[in-house]
Amino acid sequence: MPPKLCALCEAAKATLRRPKTGQQICRECFFFVFETEIHHTITEAKLFKPGDRVAIGASGGKDSTVLAYVMKTLNERYQYGLELFLLSIDEGITGYRDDSLETVKRNQQQYGMPLKILSYDELYGWTMDSIVAQVGRKNNCTFCGVFRRQALDRGAATLGVDHIVTGHNADDIAETVLMNIMRGDIARLGRCTAICTEGEDTIKRSKPFKYAYEKEIVMYAYFKKLDYFSTECIYSPDAYRGHARAFLKDLEAARPSAIIDIIHSGEAFEVKDEVKASQRVQRTCQRCGYMSSNPLCKACTLLEGLERGSAESGLTDRARKKLEAEGPAPDNVRTIPFFNKPVTGNPRVSIAVEIPPGQ
Amino acid sequence: MASCGNPDVEADASMTKRPKYDRNKTCVKCKLQTGNIVIRHAVYCKDCFFPLMSLRFRRTLEPHINPNPQQHRRKGLKASGNLLIGLSGGLGSSVLLDLIQKTYLSPRERQQGDQNPNGITCPWSKIFVVYVDISGIMIGAPDKSSPVEQFVKRHSTTMEYIRVKLEDAFDQTRSPGLRKILLKVLSSSTCSPLVSLKTYIESLPTQTAISSAIQALIRVLLLHTAALTHSSHLLLGTSLTSLSISLISSISQGGGYSIREETQEEWTYRNQDNIEQIVRVIRPLCDVGMKECAFWAWWCGLKVVGKHRYSGGRQDIGALTRDFIMGLEKDYPSTVSTIARTCNKLTTKGGTSMKCLICQRPAQSGTQDWKQNISIRSYSDINPEDVPPGHVNLASRASDDLPPSNPHSIASSMCYACHTSWTSKSIRGRITKQTDIPLPVWLKISSSISEERRQITMESMRNTIDDFLLDSDS
Ligand SMILES: [Zn+2]
Ligand SMILES: [Zn+2]
Ligand SMILES: [Zn+2]
Ligand SMILES: [Zn+2]
Repeated sequence: MPPKLCALCEAAKATLRRPKTGQQICRECFFFVFETEIHHTITEAKLFKPGDRVAIGASGGKDSTVLAYVMKTLNERYQYGLELFLLSIDEGITGYRDDSLETVKRNQQQYGMPLKILSYDELYGWTMDSIVAQVGRKNNCTFCGVFRRQALDRGAATLGVDHIVTGHNADDIAETVLMNIMRGDIARLGRCTAICTEGEDTIKRSKPFKYAYEKEIVMYAYFKKLDYFSTECIYSPDAYRGHARAFLKDLEAARPSAIIDIIHSGEAFEVKDEVKASQRVQRTCQRCGYMSSNPLCKACTLLEGLERGSAESGLTDRARKKLEAEGPAPDNVRTIPFFNKPVTGNPRVSIAVEIPPGQ
Repeated sequence: MASCGNPDVEADASMTKRPKYDRNKTCVKCKLQTGNIVIRHAVYCKDCFFPLMSLRFRRTLEPHINPNPQQHRRKGLKASGNLLIGLSGGLGSSVLLDLIQKTYLSPRERQQGDQNPNGITCPWSKIFVVYVDISGIMIGAPDKSSPVEQFVKRHSTTMEYIRVKLEDAFDQTRSPGLRKILLKVLSSSTCSPLVSLKTYIESLPTQTAISSAIQALIRVLLLHTAALTHSSHLLLGTSLTSLSISLISSISQGGGYSIREETQEEWTYRNQDNIEQIVRVIRPLCDVGMKECAFWAWWCGLKVVGKHRYSGGRQDIGALTRDFIMGLEKDYPSTVSTIARTCNKLTTKGGTSMKCLICQRPAQSGTQDWKQNISIRSYSDINPEDVPPGHVNLASRASDDLPPSNPHSIASSMCYACHTSWTSKSIRGRITKQTDIPLPVWLKISSSISEERRQITMESMRNTIDDFLLDSDS
């Protein structure tokens, strides 16, 4: 039997079956379609304009490692004219972050991108290790998620960037659509398929990997010999999400397009106007200035709970009321430094970043 | 993404396991009798269960009986046409038929579960029950049409039983009604309807596509039967549980644009006098769980026949979703109602531009371009500024490029989900290159049902379908 030819170029020998389409194609064509689809995603959504300062949320895991590589490649190939930065958050999990931060530091050198590492410890006075020591392993992902989101914004503000790109891939987004439907989170369902989110007070965030399959990201890293670390959290995530993830994997096995199809579904519907009207309006946290739908933002609420030894109060309304009944927060609790809304129009603030050697 | 996946996790949204049973064993309604059934964390006794079930059924159905929903229901319920009940033989539709009978047809005979104290007159002048027999494509499955017919006859002498076979979708002689409603047939098939049906099904690329094609055929046959019987209402026995399953299954197959139609829809057609008619498709049990239906059937002594369900097992998204939701419901009993409630808060983006030729549901335009941008399947799909790899010579390939897709082709008249069904392959690839695929009758007629009134020639259909079935791997 003659060797099977690549379904795309019909010239080279097919060496892989594309997870997204099932086509048997050659390696060069795989690089091309993978990169070009991301380029299409970026240009369709008009994510950037020349001169933009863009921070890549880098964890040292597969998604952000490949994202940094592809952003650099596309920026050069299609002359986006972007100034790229690496922004890393150190959650303070012993033995988990240390290795992956090494990857980020190596990327900094390979790609000549300035790197900023911001730790939970310096921002909140708590590491994930110390949080888990207090709250146990039940709700730690809530803390981690809320703290990471705010930390990224704050890190970006120090870097003076216009935009943060994160490595959320198609699998993540499809899973989030399913999760939000199953737990009735209508507010998030409305925005989880948006490629770009920009609040009044937050820095623009987008997901160039929105339509990129996790399996293809892994395949790309493998062929390009990009090394990365497993960033699967050692503090186990919630079981309910685990069910949704397993279900999604089954769907993908039955029909690979399922991941894209779920995202397409998510993009086709929106929250009814009358439901939107009943949702709470955004304002800013009175303690730290970050966006919030309550007087105190989620991070401040969680942090106060930790500081006052009642972690539950950040998680349930009932526990929160109980804490409030005990009176206002004492002066000696640590709080998050005030968040100054980044002024649009790009103030070139001086920033403390590590400049790669030789620059 | 890293670690716990989503940085958007928040406490209020995380799901905690709840106890399945409440402590209190006394009925929450009468507060006297010992409870017999737990419904959404509340305990009810048998006596209070029937009125509760009846109430939910009527609350869902009755606002939609009068042609004008604003018309006050106290002035009486009067439908503009007949009633068609879709009976699958399964639990939900059997309970539905029982509820219709007890609520509207036998007000004077007081029986268990009867909730017609005021002696409501039946809002429909005639009631038909249709059973779509799919045994033709179920290998070794018995024909259930006679037990189903007996079930109907046992229940009511006034309801008229109609049996439709799945292959009737391919029968041009046995569907004079289709022609009456949908004008002329453009082509004649030489095969028997059953052979045509089987060929059609075998041409589909995945188990998921087969399942959803069968669902779509059943749906359109039901709609046409509603038109034939001059019914203004088509009622289906979808329970809350099955509704949640079909919502998630539809979303997983790209059907997000028709999410509202999963719960309720209106289908418009023109009758032989070219007057626009509407069939309301209502699922009166969509607020009642499968468990409640089972209790109703058990306590009322319904002899549920059971339905044929095509299942492609682990390769079938519909079947996977069913297993997933049923499994979740055990540990997280509120999941099913949360899914339905959440989807009820959604609407579709933008106006409806057309009706899908296959499933007859609203469809977006431009989905082909969307797909091409996101999944490049050919160098002919790339944009002029894209930089292809060095080994690819686009110039030499120009000749074997497919002709630009015809904007009037059937593909552009399909919704995203149906298009995906026809084209999306599984990794295992069960592709057979077919040149002559039979189509359901309603695809062979000039699209008088399409809102855009596009004339679609048989030839252009065949050409486009041929493209779908080309296995680019081989
Ligand atoms: Zn190739
Ligand atoms: Zn705050
Ligand atoms: Zn009672
Ligand atoms: Zn369709």
